[in-house]
Amino acid sequence: MSKVDTRSDRALRTSSRPIVGNRVLLTLLIIALASVAFLPFATLSPNRLVSGQAVMLWQACRPWQWIALAALGALLLVSAAGRPLAARPACRVALLTSLPLIALLLISLGDYAHRALSDASPAARVSQSASFWVLLFVGALVAVDALQRLRLGLVPRLGFALVAVVLVAVCLASDLLSGLSIMREFANQRANFLDQLVRHLVLVAGALIPALLVGLPLGLLARRREAWRSGLFSVLNVFQTLPSIAVFGLLIAPLAALARAVPWLAELGIGGIGLAPAIIALVIYSLLPIVRNTYAGLAGVPAGTLEAARGMGMTPTQILWRVEVPLALPVILSGLRIVTVQAIGLAVVAALIGAGGFGAFIFQGLGQYAIDLVLLGAIPTIVMAVIADFILQILVSLSRPAGTR
Amino acid sequence: MNAPVASSHRASRLTQVRARASGNLVLGGLIIVLVALTLGMGALEPLFHALFPELRNPLYARDSFLNLMLAHIGLVLVSSLISVTIGIAAGLFVTRPVGREFEPMVSSLAAIGQTFPPAAVLAIAVPLAGFGFAPTIIALSLYGLLPVIQNTIAGLGTVPQTTLEAARGNGMSRTQILMRVELPLAMRVIIAGIRVSVIINIGTATIGSTVGAKSLGTPLIAGLVGNNLAYVIQGALLVGLLAIVTDLLFERLERRYSFGG
Amino acid sequence: MIELKGLTKRYAGKSVVDDISLTLEDGEFGVLIGPSGCGKSTTLKMINRLIPASGGQILLNGDDVADLPVEQLRRRIGYAIQSTGLFPHWDVARNIATVPQLLKWPKSRIDDRVDELMALFHLDPAEFRGKYPHQLSGGQAQRVGVARALAADPEVLLMDEPFGAVDPLTREVLQAEMKRVHQQTGKTIVFVTHDMDEALSLATRIALLNQGRLVQYDRPIELMVEPADDFVREFIGQADLGLKLLSRRWVHQYQREARLQQTETLDSLHAHGWLIDDQGRPSALAGARLDDADAITRVKPEWIATPEMSMKEALSRMVWYRVMVLPVVDDAGKLIGEVGMQGVMGMQDEPEGALS
Ligand SMILES: Nc1ncnc2c1ncn2[C@@H]1O[C@H](COP(=O)(O)OP(=O)(O)OP(=O)(O)O)[C@@H](O)[C@H]1O
Ligand SMILES: [Mg+2]
Repeated sequence: MSKVDTRSDRALRTSSRPIVGNRVLLTLLIIALASVAFLPFATLSPNRLVSGQAVMLWQACRPWQWIALAALGALLLVSAAGRPLAARPACRVALLTSLPLIALLLISLGDYAHRALSDASPAARVSQSASFWVLLFVGALVAVDALQRLRLGLVPRLGFALVAVVLVAVCLASDLLSGLSIMREFANQRANFLDQLVRHLVLVAGALIPALLVGLPLGLLARRREAWRSGLFSVLNVFQTLPSIAVFGLLIAPLAALARAVPWLAELGIGGIGLAPAIIALVIYSLLPIVRNTYAGLAGVPAGTLEAARGMGMTPTQILWRVEVPLALPVILSGLRIVTVQAIGLAVVAALIGAGGFGAFIFQGLGQYAIDLVLLGAIPTIVMAVIADFILQILVSLSRPAGTR
Repeated sequence: MNAPVASSHRASRLTQVRARASGNLVLGGLIIVLVALTLGMGALEPLFHALFPELRNPLYARDSFLNLMLAHIGLVLVSSLISVTIGIAAGLFVTRPVGREFEPMVSSLAAIGQTFPPAAVLAIAVPLAGFGFAPTIIALSLYGLLPVIQNTIAGLGTVPQTTLEAARGNGMSRTQILMRVELPLAMRVIIAGIRVSVIINIGTATIGSTVGAKSLGTPLIAGLVGNNLAYVIQGALLVGLLAIVTDLLFERLERRYSFGG
Repeated sequence: MIELKGLTKRYAGKSVVDDISLTLEDGEFGVLIGPSGCGKSTTLKMINRLIPASGGQILLNGDDVADLPVEQLRRRIGYAIQSTGLFPHWDVARNIATVPQLLKWPKSRIDDRVDELMALFHLDPAEFRGKYPHQLSGGQAQRVGVARALAADPEVLLMDEPFGAVDPLTREVLQAEMKRVHQQTGKTIVFVTHDMDEALSLATRIALLNQGRLVQYDRPIELMVEPADDFVREFIGQADLGLKLLSRRWVHQYQREARLQQTETLDSLHAHGWLIDDQGRPSALAGARLDDADAITRVKPEWIATPEMSMKEALSRMVWYRVMVLPVVDDAGKLIGEVGMQGVMGMQDEPEGALS
C-alpha cells in the first residue's frame, strides 16, 4: 500500500516538473542559434578601409570546433530542460559550460583569423562580427543566470569572476587573437594605449578626489541644515542635467580668459582645453550623487539611535564617527559607485576638448572611419566601467556593518 | 493647542504654493529664452562679434538653429518612444506570472548595461549600423531602455501587496488591477525612469554629431574641432537649456503622480 | 536625589511643561504619567538636557544640571527609550559597554561589568554577547537597552516608555524584572509611561501631568484613595479601581496563620487545613474548594502565593484555581501562612507595604 503510494507520488513529482526547466536559458539558446544562422561571425576585408565579406560561423570553424560548440550547446539545452537534471545540478552544468563556450569562441575566431590571413595580402584584415558578439554575450548571460539561480555567496562568485577574467586575459595576452584587426590596431598603438589608459585614470581620479573632498562635507551640511538642502540639491541637479559636452564647452571660454588673466595658472596647465576643464566638469557632475547619498545615508540613521547616543553622553564628534558614519557608509559608497562609473563614461567625452583618455581613440576612429580604433577605445572603457562597478559593489557589501548585513 | 499647528500647517502650504508659483515662473521664463534663442540667435551676432573679435564668422550659419533643434528633439523623441514602449512592455512582462522567471536576468542586464558609458555605446553602434541617424537612434534607444525597464520593475514592485489583495478581493480582473491600481501607483517611478532616460539621451544625442547625426551637437563639435568658441557656446547654450527645460517638465509630471508620498 | 524647581518648557511662547516642582528621593521609583502630549517626555529629557529648559531648575544630588558639562552630566545618568536606540552596527556586548568605553574604563573592568549586567537581566553571555540588535526579540532588545543604561552605574536612570512597544505578556515579564532590578540596585529611577497599571505596579511615587502641569504627585495608593480632582479620578479609571488598589497591596499584609493538620480526613470543626511534607512545604489542602468543599487537593506549584506578591495576583490565582485560600510560602517553599478570599476585604488601610 505505502509502496504504491510513494511510487505514484514520485511519478506525480516527475510529471509536475515541466519539460522546460529554465526558460531564460532556453531563450538565450534560441537567440544564439538565430544569430549563428542569420548573422555573420566574422568579416574578412582586403584592407582597412573597404568593408569586407561576411563569414558565417560554420564557414569560420574547423570541424572539431564545430563539434565542440555543438556539444556545449547540447549540454546547455539539457540543462535548460526540466529533465533529467534537477534545477540546481542543471544550473551548475550551465555555469561550468559557459567558460569553455567563451574560450571556444575566442579560439575559433583567432584560429580563423590566422588561417584566413596566412594566404592573403598583408593589408587584409579579419574582424569579429555580430554573431560573435551575440554568442559572447549569451555565454556571459548563461553564467549570470546560473549564478543568480544558484544564489552563491560572495566568495564563490568572486572566484568565478576571477577565473573568467584570467581566461580572457590569457587569450588576449597569448598569440591566439593576434590575427584580429583590433589586436593589430592594439599592437600598433601599444605605447599610446598605455598613455591613454593612464590619462583616463588620471581624469577619473582627478574628478573623484576633489568631488569627495567637497561632496562629503556638503552632504553633512545638508543633513545638519535641512533648510539648505533643497536649494543645494536643485543647484547640483541642474549641473547633472546639463549634457556633459555642453558643460565642457561652456567652461572653455571662462577658463581660457582666466588663464590669460592669471599667467601662473596658465603655467600650471590650466586653460580652456585639456585636463583642467575636463576635471572641473567631471567634479561638478560627481557632486550630486555624492552629496545626495551622503545626505541619505546620514538621514537613514534611526532617530532613536541618535537620541540614545546623545542621551548616553557622546559628543557630536563621537556620534558622527562612531555612529553616523559607520551606519551611512554603505549608502555613501553606493554614491561613489555611481560617480565612478559615471566619471569613467564622461571622461570619454572629455577627449573632445583635448583631455585625452580612451575617448581619444573613439573620436579619432570615428573621424577616420577606423572602426577598430573606435573599438579600441570603446571596449576598454566599458570593461573599465564594469570592473569599477563590480569592485565598488563588493566594497559596498563589505562596508555594511556586521549587524545589518 | 490646535492653533499653532494649524497655522504652521497653513504657513507650510503657503510656502509650498509660493514655491510652485515661482517654479512656474522660472520654467516659463526658460521656455521663452529657449524659443527666443532658437529662433533669434542671429540677433546676438553683434554680441558674439564683441566677445570674440578674432573670429570672422562668430555665428554658426551652416544650418538654422531651428533645424538643429528640431533634429535634436526628433532624435530624442523617436529613440525615447522606442525605449519607453519596449521598456514598459518588458517591465510589465517580467512582473507578470508568465515572465517572472526572466525578472532577475532582465534586472541585472539593465543594471550592468547602465554601467556602459553612453558615448561608448554610441561608438559601438557605428560598426553595426554605419554612420548617421540609424546608429544614433539605435544607441539612444538601447541605452534609454535600461532606466525605463529598471524603474518599471521597481515601480510595480512598490505597489503594496495588501493593496493588490484588496483589489483582487474586490473582484477586479487582472487587466483592471494593472490599469487601475498597479500602473497609476507605479507611474511616478516609471516617469522618473523615463526622465533619466530622456535626459541622458539629450546629452548623448549631442555627441551623435560625431557619428554623423545632425543635432545641436553639430555646431558645438564643429566649434571644438574648428577652434570657434562662439559656435561652442551657441550649441552648448541651446542644448543645456533644452535639457533643463525638459527636466523641469518631467519634474512637474512626476509630481502629478505622487499620491501623498 | 532629583529636584525639579519650577521647571518650564516653552515652544514658541506656549508652555508645554509648566512650572513643575517635585522631589524624588534616592532609591525611589518615580513615574511620570499623563495623557499623550502632556509633556512627560519633555520633562524627562530636560533632566539630561536633551531638551534645554526654558525656566526653572533641576538639581541632581544638589548640583544644578545646567552647570555641569553636558556630556559629563549624561554619562552620570542612564537613559533608556522605547525604540531601544541600540546601535545596529555593534553587538550586544559593545552596546552595553558604550558609556564605560566613553569613560575609558580598562577593558577587563568593562568585560566584567558587561557580564554582570547580562546576568542581572538573565541574558546568557555565551549566547548573547556577540549577537547584533536585529537578532534580538523585542523583549531582549529592551533588556539590553536598560542594561546599557545601567552600565556605568549611573546615579539616576531615566526611562521613556521603555516597554511601550512590546507585547503585553513580555511587558509584564519586563516589569517584574524592572522591579527586581530596582530592588537589587537601589537606583533612583524616573520612568515615563501612559499605562496606569504599569505605573501602579512599579512606582513608589507617581507624578500625574496634564497639559504640562503637575496635577498630583503622590504615592500610588494615595493617588487612588485621595485623588486631587476629577481629572485624576478619571485618569485612574473607576471601573476596576478595587482591583487597582489590590495591585498595590501585598500578600504579607493579608497573610494569616495557616492551620496544619496531620491526616487527610477533614476535621469537621474547621473549614480547611494544610498538610505539609517533611521539608515544611505545603503538599495538600483539605477543604476550601469552591466546587467540592470536602475534597483534598494537591498543592500545585502555580497556586501558591509569596509574601511580596500583589493581592491582585493572589486573588486572580484563587479565582482561576477555584480555591478559597492560597498557601503563602517563603523563598525555600516552606509554608509560612495562608491568604484567603475572606481576608481580601479585611485589611485595615495601612497604605504601603515595606516591600513595595
Ligand atoms: N520641538 C517641538 N516643538 C514644538 N512643540 C513640541 C516640540 N516637541 C514637543 N512639542 C509639544 O510639546 C508637547 C509635549 O510633548 P511630549 O513629547 O513631552 O509629550 P508626551 O507627554 O511625551 O506625549 P506621548 O505620550 O505622546 O509621548 C506636545 O504637545 C508636543 O506637541
Ligand atoms: Mg513621549
